[in-house]
Amino acid sequence: MLAEICQGETLPPVVKHITQERINLYAEASGDFNPIHVDESFAAQTPLGGTIAHGMLILAYVSEMMAQAFGENWASNGKLSVRFKMPARPGDTVTATGKIDSIKEEDGISYVGCRLECHNQKDEVIVTGEAVVKLPYSQGEICGSR
Amino acid sequence: MLISYEDLTLGYEFPPTSNELSPSLISKYLKAVDSMGDDFVPPLAIAARAMTAMTGVLSLPPGTIHASQDFEFCKLVPIGATVSCQAKVVRKLARGSMRMLVLELNIFDQSKERVQSGKATIILPA
Repeated sequence: MLAEICQGETLPPVVKHITQERINLYAEASGDFNPIHVDESFAAQTPLGGTIAHGMLILAYVSEMMAQAFGENWASNGKLSVRFKMPARPGDTVTATGKIDSIKEEDGISYVGCRLECHNQKDEVIVTGEAVVKLPYSQGEICGSR
Repeated sequence: MLISYEDLTLGYEFPPTSNELSPSLISKYLKAVDSMGDDFVPPLAIAARAMTAMTGVLSLPPGTIHASQDFEFCKLVPIGATVSCQAKVVRKLARGSMRMLVLELNIFDQSKERVQSGKATIILPA
């Protein structure tokens, strides 16, 4: 977990390299064998021009970043809202980044809002979104005094 | 029986599905996402299995893609648990050659407590 959870703080990023092998592994693990992900000859004939990673694979990296920052609170009290802006492709290096942009407190519970983004090695934005994590601490407890 | 986009109506409820989140399945998932695990199922693993089970009854054309996604995670799920998923169509839109579906998902554990909910927007190719 983050040592301090303060507005403006940047979350430690998660960086992953996308390969067709990884996409195929994800297809097996998720059961999603949509040919746009796994059939290179089919995908080459589509407007996308080739296979793309599952959107949910990229979101797994976002979720990993949030879990590293907020621990189990993420999986038990997290909200995520994202838009897929462009696909990630085999050969891409995807970096999930996040920044705490708000902390609201109500009845001793803190609601930590984060702005999220995933980009590729060309700095093109793949995913944008927001997340909120509910933490069972007051703002004073999570920022500056833990 | 597979359901086509044309057959779907607003409010259509998919047949509920059940997923066992076995240690071997979660191990395969963690390898695929290149991540370390702990005692609990990664929330995105639950979502991925639920969405695949749901879209498995849909006859979606190849090339269908994910446009946006919302999730709310409510409860930790231990590895080995079985979850059930309910899903329904909350929006269906056809504009020109573009066709879009918004599906709402609710996932429950064996004690019928909600573990997560979500909304997926998918775009079907022309």
